[in-house]
Amino acid sequence: MTELSRTQIRDLMGQVLANQGKVLPDDDGTDLRDVGFRSLDFSELALRVEDETGEELNFDAPGLRRIATVGDVLDFLVELQRQ
Amino acid sequence: MSDSATRTPLVPPSTVVLVSGGSRGLGLAIVTDLLSAGLKVAAFARTVTPELAKLADTEPQRCYVDSVDVTDLAATQVFVRAAEDRLGPIDGLVNNAAVGQDSLHVHTATADIARIIETNLTAPLQLTRLVVRRMLAQGRRGRIVNVTSICAQRGFPGLVAYSATKGGMDAATRSLARELGGRMLVNAVAPGFFASEMSAVLGQTQLDQIVRRTPTGHLTAPEEVVPVVRMLLRDQTNINGQAIVVDGAASI
Ligand SMILES: NC(=O)c1ccc[n+]([C@@H]2O[C@H](COP(=O)([O-])OP(=O)(O)OC[C@H]3O[C@@H](n4cnc5c(N)ncnc54)[C@H](OP(=O)(O)O)[C@@H]3O)[C@@H](O)[C@H]2O)c1
Repeated sequence: MTELSRTQIRDLMGQVLANQGKVLPDDDGTDLRDVGFRSLDFSELALRVEDETGEELNFDAPGLRRIATVGDVLDFLVELQRQ
Repeated sequence: MSDSATRTPLVPPSTVVLVSGGSRGLGLAIVTDLLSAGLKVAAFARTVTPELAKLADTEPQRCYVDSVDVTDLAATQVFVRAAEDRLGPIDGLVNNAAVGQDSLHVHTATADIARIIETNLTAPLQLTRLVVRRMLAQGRRGRIVNVTSICAQRGFPGLVAYSATKGGMDAATRSLARELGGRMLVNAVAPGFFASEMSAVLGQTQLDQIVRRTPTGHLTAPEEVVPVVRMLLRDQTNINGQAIVVDGAASI
């Protein structure tokens, strides 16, 4: 299975935000609320990663609740691909 | 065949009740309450907890428990027969066993959707069929209580498949009440969120939000649901085919 790198996922995240006229900041520590990245945006990003890798990424909501920053999103998806 | 004319006799209070998922949470509270009220109770879950085992040890003549997966129809059949041998004919059923969900629909594995539907919808329908067949064959009257959820009537993210099963059971409750023509009273109890292993996945923010939206100012407790279940099993009322919401008006 092909795995997307953190940088590639970051690019996709930038695209998800750009589609809504928003900008992904460079700082991974930025709070998602400041970026306006909501849970359905996370879904969209996860589905885009699935599209690229051809593998379903399923996960429970409690994991999502711990995600607060841009870096958390990237870490979560990198980790999820490995499971 | 005519279903009308003569007045149907009243459905007597249940005396021997089968509770699915009686090992913990609301199910255990229902088993405990019915035993305290003097009823005989048969209960199962995949794992018999020490709490449930203790009830059976303390009241061997009135409480029969075993480890059964509700999705295993053959095993539930064996359990029902064994329970009736021990306690006498079952005249009450509480469909309580269920599994929860906490994942957005698009990110829920297809196998998980199938498992939720099998456990929460197919299995209780099969168990109900089994118990009703036995009751009808022996000319018994009885009562059925389906534990559903406020999710059957209101939308909650992360609970799509779960809500579908609970809505399905509410719908089945109405049709069964009609179909069984007053020989059995069939109702649902639809609690709001309460603290249990199932709802442990909810974050504190969500729990606080539910409490804020609840006029009575607290999450529903199993002890607040139990009297409603007992009332439906025991009291002389004409309640039939209803889903009774117990949620402190959170959903109103
Ligand atoms: N908690 C809430 O907020 C809430 C709100 C509204 C409605 N409800 C409903 O209330 C009922 C009880 O929920 P709860 O919160 O008390 O849940 P819980 O603590 O998770 O207990 C569920 C019970 O069902 C049993 N069970 C699950 N899968 C089973 C299977 N395949 N075969 C046999 N038994 C099975 C469990 O035992 P094993 O795992 O050992 O099998 C356990 O005894 C459920 O119908 C639930 O949908 C709950």
